[in-house]
Amino acid sequence: MTERDATAALSEEKRWRLFLWPPLIVSATLLVIPQASFVWMSLHKNLGMGLLGSTLTLENYARALGDAFYLDCLWLTFWLSLVATAITLFLAFPAAYLLARSRSAWISFLIVLLLISSFVTIVIKVLGLSLVLGQEGVVNQFLQWIGVISVPLRMLNNQSGVIIGLIQYTLPFLVMLLFSVIQTIPVSLEEAAELHGAGRISTFREVLLPLALPGLIAGGLVTFNLNMGAFTSAVLLGGGKVLTLPVVIQRKILLDVDYPFAACLATELVVLVFLFNVASTFFIRWKTRGASQVR
Amino acid sequence: MTTAVRIRRQWFFWLITVGVYLFLLGPIVAVGLASLEGKQTYHFQFPPETFSLAWYLKIPHKYFQALGVSIVVATLTAILSVVIGGAAAIGIVRGGLRIAEPLKAFFSLPLQVPLVVTGVVFLQFYNQLAIASGIDLLGSLPGLVIAHVFVTVPYSVSTVSSVLARANPRLEEAARTLGASELSIFWRVLLPTLRPALFAGCFYGFIVSFGDVPVAVFLSSGGFVTLPVEIFQTLQFDFDPAVLALSTLVVVASAILIVLVQKLVGFDLVLAYAKR
Repeated sequence: MTERDATAALSEEKRWRLFLWPPLIVSATLLVIPQASFVWMSLHKNLGMGLLGSTLTLENYARALGDAFYLDCLWLTFWLSLVATAITLFLAFPAAYLLARSRSAWISFLIVLLLISSFVTIVIKVLGLSLVLGQEGVVNQFLQWIGVISVPLRMLNNQSGVIIGLIQYTLPFLVMLLFSVIQTIPVSLEEAAELHGAGRISTFREVLLPLALPGLIAGGLVTFNLNMGAFTSAVLLGGGKVLTLPVVIQRKILLDVDYPFAACLATELVVLVFLFNVASTFFIRWKTRGASQVR
Repeated sequence: MTTAVRIRRQWFFWLITVGVYLFLLGPIVAVGLASLEGKQTYHFQFPPETFSLAWYLKIPHKYFQALGVSIVVATLTAILSVVIGGAAAIGIVRGGLRIAEPLKAFFSLPLQVPLVVTGVVFLQFYNQLAIASGIDLLGSLPGLVIAHVFVTVPYSVSTVSSVLARANPRLEEAARTLGASELSIFWRVLLPTLRPALFAGCFYGFIVSFGDVPVAVFLSSGGFVTLPVEIFQTLQFDFDPAVLALSTLVVVASAILIVLVQKLVGFDLVLAYAKR
């Protein structure tokens, strides 16, 4: 590249940078100002009737972290999200793999079905789940008919109902995301492994899984984050008994009108999710650095 | 071994995939079948005993109004988030900045804010804004669209930047050498390259906004409610079987829409986007 070309490229880059300013200002405004005033509010005492105490206090945080009830809610939210994410990853990967690899004429039809499923709001899906998962619903009837169970399973109004609802919420998105991840892994690598005598399981474990790992973790994080902030399934499939933090926050706002305490619980949730994301990102970096050294 | 043979041998993967589809589509089909039940009043039963379209004629007007609100909010959200996210991606990828990676991380931050928190944060922000300036965004179209744009911009940034990173800048150089103006390079070279990514960003923005409950539930008001929130309230407080009929209509309309888009544009585009 000649010097003149380099200067031209530089001025061009400067021109492209202009595109960055409007979105940066909008995003920073929407991220920083509301969040900051929100955290600020969590540091005040609630006096009722929308009035706040005038002095800064950590009272809300002491209450949230000192009360076993709220700690249990936090733990429950984390645990249910984690279990739902693990199951969703386990289900999504094989489906995404087949959609990405298969040359069958059915694939585009299957993709359309997947898109329809992702397009339908979770509320309608939850309604459908409550139709089929009841004590006398078709799922229990079928399982009893084929003789797997003798007593109907309880899948509604408890934690398993909430987990099923969370999976229903995130599964189509995760399949789409992993589909694009697997498409970037050349099929020839798997073929090479098999030509050299690797079995299916070891091809999967030694070739496919390491290459897909960054995508799996990124997809898992998106799923986990969605689960941590969802309350539709907790409210509708938990029967009012599964009190995750999002449900408690909603009740604090809508029933108790205790904004500062809700703000404190929400801040707690954000911090937990953020730390979890940062920790996982470091884990990816560490893992992939190891992989590139091997290569 | 050919790919086709290998895929056929992966019976375990196929088994799970069949399970995934049954799990995803079963509940939706159940809603459709249950909506045809004519006999009951305020409870649902499946499978239906008597077929009837009675509930379709009894859908309260408020649901159609809510559907209208949802469509408008989701359309505006999709367009705004793709414009904002697309511009950000162009700046990040083509700007040659050393802080490109941190910038990308910054734009994806909203994905790490749980949706319920986004809802209460904007609720509280609009309350304070109303006190401070008299502008009341709570329970209004702009208020909800702003919150949804906040949530969906990261999707557009990631779809557009991943396509842009793979696009060939020489196409633009060639156009410039041949005497094209900057404006026509933008419209006639860059935008067509980005079309699949912009389309995918739009699509995700629409889906997220159209299906959202945790944000919209806090930013709705009596006269301004989205469809998912309206259905959510119905399921939570007083069940009305007309919801089954309405949900079925929405599902059928969505299915037709998606098949049409598939025929006209093709979804390889939507799915071709890479993560991050």
